[in-house]
Amino acid sequence: MKTLKGAGAAQPLLYDCGFAREIYALEGGAQLKRCMQCGVCAVSCPSRQEMDYTPRRLFSLIRAGRKEEVLDANTIWVCTSCCTCRVRCPRGIDILGLMHELQFYYLRSWFKVHSRASFQQAFWQELRERGRIGEAGVMLRCWLKEGGLTGAVLKSLEMKGTGLRLLRRGRLRLIPPKIEGLTGLNKIIDKALAQQGYAE
Amino acid sequence: MVGGGISGLTAAVEAAEAGFDVLLLEKKPGLGGRVAQLNLYFPKLCSPNCGLEIIFKRLAANSRFRFLTSAEVIAVSGGEGSFEVVVNLKPTFVKENCTGCGRCAEVCPAERPNAFNFGFDRTKAAYLPHRLAFPYRYVIDGEACRGPSCARCTAACPYGAIDLEMEARTLILKAGSVIWAAGWEPYDTARLGNYGGGRYPNVITNMVLERMASPGGPTSGKILRPSDRREPASIAFVQCAGSRDENHLRTCSGVCCLVSLKQAAYVRECCPEARLAMFYIDIRARGFYEDFYARVREGTGIELTKGKPGEIREDPATGNLLVLVENQLNGRVLEENFELVVLAAGMAPSALCAGLPASARDRDGFVSPVLAPGFYAAGCATRPMEVAPAVRSGAAAALRAVQWLGRRGHGR
Amino acid sequence: MAAKIGVYLCSGCGIGEVLDPAGLLQVAEDDRRVALVRESDFFCGQDAGLIQGDVTDRVVDAVVLAACSPRFYVKVFDYGPGLPVVRVNLREQVAWCHESGSEDTQMLAEDALRMALARAGGSAVPEPFRLENPSRAILVVGGGLAGLTAALEAARAAYRVILVERENSLGGWLRNVYRCAPLRPPYAESAENPFHLLSREVESHPGIVVYRGASIERTAGGPGQFDVTVRQGERLLKERVGSIIVATGAGAYDPAKLTRLKNLAYGTSPNIIVSSKFEELALRGGGRVARPSDGREVRRAAFIQCAGSRDPEHLPYCSAACCVETLKQAQYLLEPDPDCTVFIYYRDLRANGQYEHFYKKVQEEGAVFIQGEVVHVADRGGSLSVEADDLSLGCRSRVEGLDLVVLATGMIPDVAGGGPEQGALKLDYRQGPELPALKYGFPDSHFICFPYETRRTGIYAAGSVREPMDLVTTLEDAAGAALKAIQCVEMTARGQAVHPRALDVSYPEFNMSRCTQCKRCTEECPFGAINEDAGSNPLPQITRCRRCGTCLGACPERIVSFKDYSVALISSMIKAIEVPDGDEEKLRVLVFACENDAYPALDLAGAAGLKYNAWVRIIPLRCLGSLNPVWIADAMSRGIDGVLLMGCRQGEDYQCHFINGSELARTRIMNVSETLDRMGLEAGRIKMVEVEIIDYTKIPAILDGFADELAALGPNPLKGF
Ligand SMILES: Cc1cc2nc3c(=O)[nH]c(=O)nc-3n(C[C@H](O)[C@H](O)[C@H](O)COP(=O)(O)OP(=O)(O)OC[C@H]3O[C@@H](n4cnc5c(N)ncnc54)[C@H](O)[C@@H]3O)c2cc1C
Ligand code: SF4
Ligand code: SF4
Repeated sequence: MKTLKGAGAAQPLLYDCGFAREIYALEGGAQLKRCMQCGVCAVSCPSRQEMDYTPRRLFSLIRAGRKEEVLDANTIWVCTSCCTCRVRCPRGIDILGLMHELQFYYLRSWFKVHSRASFQQAFWQELRERGRIGEAGVMLRCWLKEGGLTGAVLKSLEMKGTGLRLLRRGRLRLIPPKIEGLTGLNKIIDKALAQQGYAE
Repeated sequence: MVGGGISGLTAAVEAAEAGFDVLLLEKKPGLGGRVAQLNLYFPKLCSPNCGLEIIFKRLAANSRFRFLTSAEVIAVSGGEGSFEVVVNLKPTFVKENCTGCGRCAEVCPAERPNAFNFGFDRTKAAYLPHRLAFPYRYVIDGEACRGPSCARCTAACPYGAIDLEMEARTLILKAGSVIWAAGWEPYDTARLGNYGGGRYPNVITNMVLERMASPGGPTSGKILRPSDRREPASIAFVQCAGSRDENHLRTCSGVCCLVSLKQAAYVRECCPEARLAMFYIDIRARGFYEDFYARVREGTGIELTKGKPGEIREDPATGNLLVLVENQLNGRVLEENFELVVLAAGMAPSALCAGLPASARDRDGFVSPVLAPGFYAAGCATRPMEVAPAVRSGAAAALRAVQWLGRRGHGR
Repeated sequence: MAAKIGVYLCSGCGIGEVLDPAGLLQVAEDDRRVALVRESDFFCGQDAGLIQGDVTDRVVDAVVLAACSPRFYVKVFDYGPGLPVVRVNLREQVAWCHESGSEDTQMLAEDALRMALARAGGSAVPEPFRLENPSRAILVVGGGLAGLTAALEAARAAYRVILVERENSLGGWLRNVYRCAPLRPPYAESAENPFHLLSREVESHPGIVVYRGASIERTAGGPGQFDVTVRQGERLLKERVGSIIVATGAGAYDPAKLTRLKNLAYGTSPNIIVSSKFEELALRGGGRVARPSDGREVRRAAFIQCAGSRDPEHLPYCSAACCVETLKQAQYLLEPDPDCTVFIYYRDLRANGQYEHFYKKVQEEGAVFIQGEVVHVADRGGSLSVEADDLSLGCRSRVEGLDLVVLATGMIPDVAGGGPEQGALKLDYRQGPELPALKYGFPDSHFICFPYETRRTGIYAAGSVREPMDLVTTLEDAAGAALKAIQCVEMTARGQAVHPRALDVSYPEFNMSRCTQCKRCTEECPFGAINEDAGSNPLPQITRCRRCGTCLGACPERIVSFKDYSVALISSMIKAIEVPDGDEEKLRVLVFACENDAYPALDLAGAAGLKYNAWVRIIPLRCLGSLNPVWIADAMSRGIDGVLLMGCRQGEDYQCHFINGSELARTRIMNVSETLDRMGLEAGRIKMVEVEIIDYTKIPAILDGFADELAALGPNPLKGF
């Protein structure tokens, strides 16, 4: 868990609403205004121990306009899309959707490479190239991004046991076939992204 | 008057004393409504029965007041000056000449879970609704009763007050105006899966705690955890359990903060060593209730944590509960162990009857204080509120309900 | 006085199994006044007609019914106003809580019957106190939201209303308000200010007389006949009204005092303003708020809640309406200009109940809610900043570049009415000129269940004059107060008391020839019902009276009495108790039980089957404040071993419906202890306990504990004298 810059320090944290406005303008982003800082999401998230900031805290930082803290934090990347927060949020905020929006926002406008962004990128790459998600493919891509070839090999060896077990149970296909009409799917995705203002 | 809770009773007694004829209909076997189940009132920590006693005393002597119990209003039609009210009379198998001597309960072989105490104890099938019941009259639970083949009570009753053949009846009554004071129902916490409501025995609701703490309750006033009937060493109050929640009650119930503070105060009396903690979003102790808040905070040493718990987990071995909540000062998630958890469950509006204009219902299910000319509402049927405003709204509805008579020359 | 008492002995509900009817019959027969005795086990049902028949045939002129508690079957055993019914509580207080067939139980029942006979024989039939020509008009003081609403609601019920407003126009606080917080479901939209409409309706209503620019010079008389002098400019007007609604509202906390809150920097900048000022700006600008320093439009603003409220140094209470008012004010800025930036600093956001929807709405409109304590506000060259310990960020935070900072100041009592100093009513009451304050200067009721229970009969507070209140609550409160005012004039016209002894038609009468002008009754009457004339004689105003009997308890000369409740009557009941001689080792304990709490608690103990000693003899009192010390002396000289007073809770959270009955009783018994001393008796023979209705489980411990204490003291040495 991260402590804030400024927390306890002499410099108080300065509110700057510009960033918040940008986020509110994202699809579903305006819902964030409703957050009452109850903290249910913070507790509900199974990845909370991994997170720099809990979702609640992330939202308070967005409101305060702490762009850097928000985007540099791993929170949006650690989100596993389990949807628990969304189900429980008493203000009915689609937190999960917001996490995804924030990921896109990051990739689009934050010219840094987040160490935890690789999974999201790998996920999309796999989708774009095969038209479906194969666990093996996504993981390989992800490990390649994170650790290069050596890293990927080492990680694969580390995960060998799990992989073999999954394979034996038929839960994993090494190289699943591409779907038919992959081009069509990509067109659909492009169009959807364009509509949301994410022309790639 | 539909509903004999504190708001309905107030409307009835105030109108009757002002000189108007009142007929009150209550679907339960006794008058008093929800407050009859409460142990003590915030902020004075006095018994609700004290006020009820005076109201009953005033009503008992008033010839303008009549009432029916076990009488549920199922439809209202007509308009000012000529309403028709359809009432379902549930058979209680005991006639009005019951003196309350209790012989029937002595001989009755059947038992039933005591709904007044939320099923935490049992009564005979022939039972007095509760110790301070008004009317002081026994009733028989038709479902638990073994029927005319048993009839031991019929033989035991010295007054011939029992009629096991009694049947449900429907009455159609006339009224010049109608006041809807059907009140509220505790929110069903079984729907709060993440809190284990209805699943973990030691996660109870605030209403259950009221009954437990009451001298006439299932534990005779002792605070005991349901799983092992032991006095808990630590108690957590979880606020907004279902209230202020788009998935449950969208509105704030307005009283639960004060209820938990009150409960902390009386729990402190009987469990002087227990650890008390409260988890909240905002402490809504408005107005002079602030004094009460300050008094309880200082007097009980309750730990106040801003943050709504996301989850409660049970340790099946001990029955203890792990409350997961974020400490907002440092963003850390706390996992705190408690022996008893009290869910501060809010107020859901009671079911409406036929004939209430659909437009009268707001999106939370409450109704407007003025439904139509001659048709008014009072108390928690109109919005969640505590007793004092419920009483004021009862008096207000009583006034509105007699205005048409005034126009016809009744008043001066 | 009854000369033909009918005694009805019930043996139902277990009474017959515990008691020997022969003994009771004997008691009845021994009393010359008894005309007839009947027995049954079902007087409340099948045999109810027997009593009615005797009454109709005029065989009896008073009924003594030895059966269940007087709390039950009141209407069944009601034979009209001319016929006293005295109940002997054999069921709850004898049969259900004492040993069956025991000699002590039997003696208790017989004593109870003797006491009831004494009571029936000594009571006269009360005649209601009727005013010659009672007024049914209602005076409303204050023409704000509460006053206007109360006036209209009462007038709609066809009662004449007189409304007095200090200012030259109606509307009160709302006159300076642009829009109102939501007034009706779904409680998400602010509402149009209703005061124009309301005042127009009030002014044009034929049943309402409005005095604007007027104040009250004097209020004399009592319910049904309040004589009110209204000053309007130079004119003095006289009005007679039946009851009064005080709706003089609340005022805003004095901003000058906020300068002591250094962190808020109030007074250091024209752009740091209080909420009422903000409202005024909005009203003047038709919704647009211009910054005071240069008239520029406000683009960035901060609202700071609890400025002075919830602060032991200022207003220790929460002012109830400010959170919701701030939500509304934030909307003034956000609705016309969604790009406007609004920060709201709060401790707890008290948008109670359905106002939650309004909170959500304002959040959605973009207000930024910051929970925490403001540590610092500053103005640097026209640009304001706020620094706070920010709970949601978990650190100190800062907002800069603000055009305006609005401090949400709280409510203080009765300023519209001229403040407590100037007074709104100027009552001609021995007990002071205004409604007595309960807390922080607000004259609220002390009762949760009876918010209209007033300490000045026939005068009801409504709206924020009584406690900080929001508008929705005020609307209901005003209508409720109107009902109470109407009810009061009706009951007064019938000669009945109002709550809590509603319907009682007895009233205190003063045998002036023996009065020594000691003034105790005038001082102690909790309702100011007894004034003094020029010669210091008590001057009772019966329609103000609530029939508590405090005056009766206060008077050392015993000259105050009710037809059915007097010093002599209770004394005769005490004398009816048979006290066995000392050597019999049977204690006798006299219990004076408050009718409202202790008496029902005793009943409940019986109903719960709890057992206690059968030495107690219980006399219910209207209020312990009506306890006359003579009774204690009487009891002691009769050889009764101890006297126990069971009253209600005293102190800050008192429960007495007659304000301070228990306290008065305590003082009186302290004074009695001197007399006891002289009689050679221990002070421990008299004890007072506080009992709530729900304390019924403690009854055996209380009664048996006292009996043990008395046993330790030994028998009353005066026994047998
Ligand atoms: C846990 C808890 C503790 C509380 N403690 C306090 C406290 O300490 N102090 C305080 O001021 N407030 C307290 N409150 C709030 C208080 O309970 C309510 O303000 C009060 O009960 C409102 O009374 P009511 O008459 O409006 O409704 P109710 O008490 O619900 O009465 C309504 C009555 O109508 C009857 N009814 C319903 N439908 C029909 C029908 N169709 N026909 C006939 N009859 C019908 C019902 O049976 C019921 O008797 C508490 C609330 C909760 C949840
Ligand atoms: S659960 Fe919803 S309202 Fe609560 S902090 Fe998280 S996002 Fe905000
Ligand atoms: S009975 Fe009570 S209210 Fe009436 S005059 Fe006496 S003391 Fe005052």
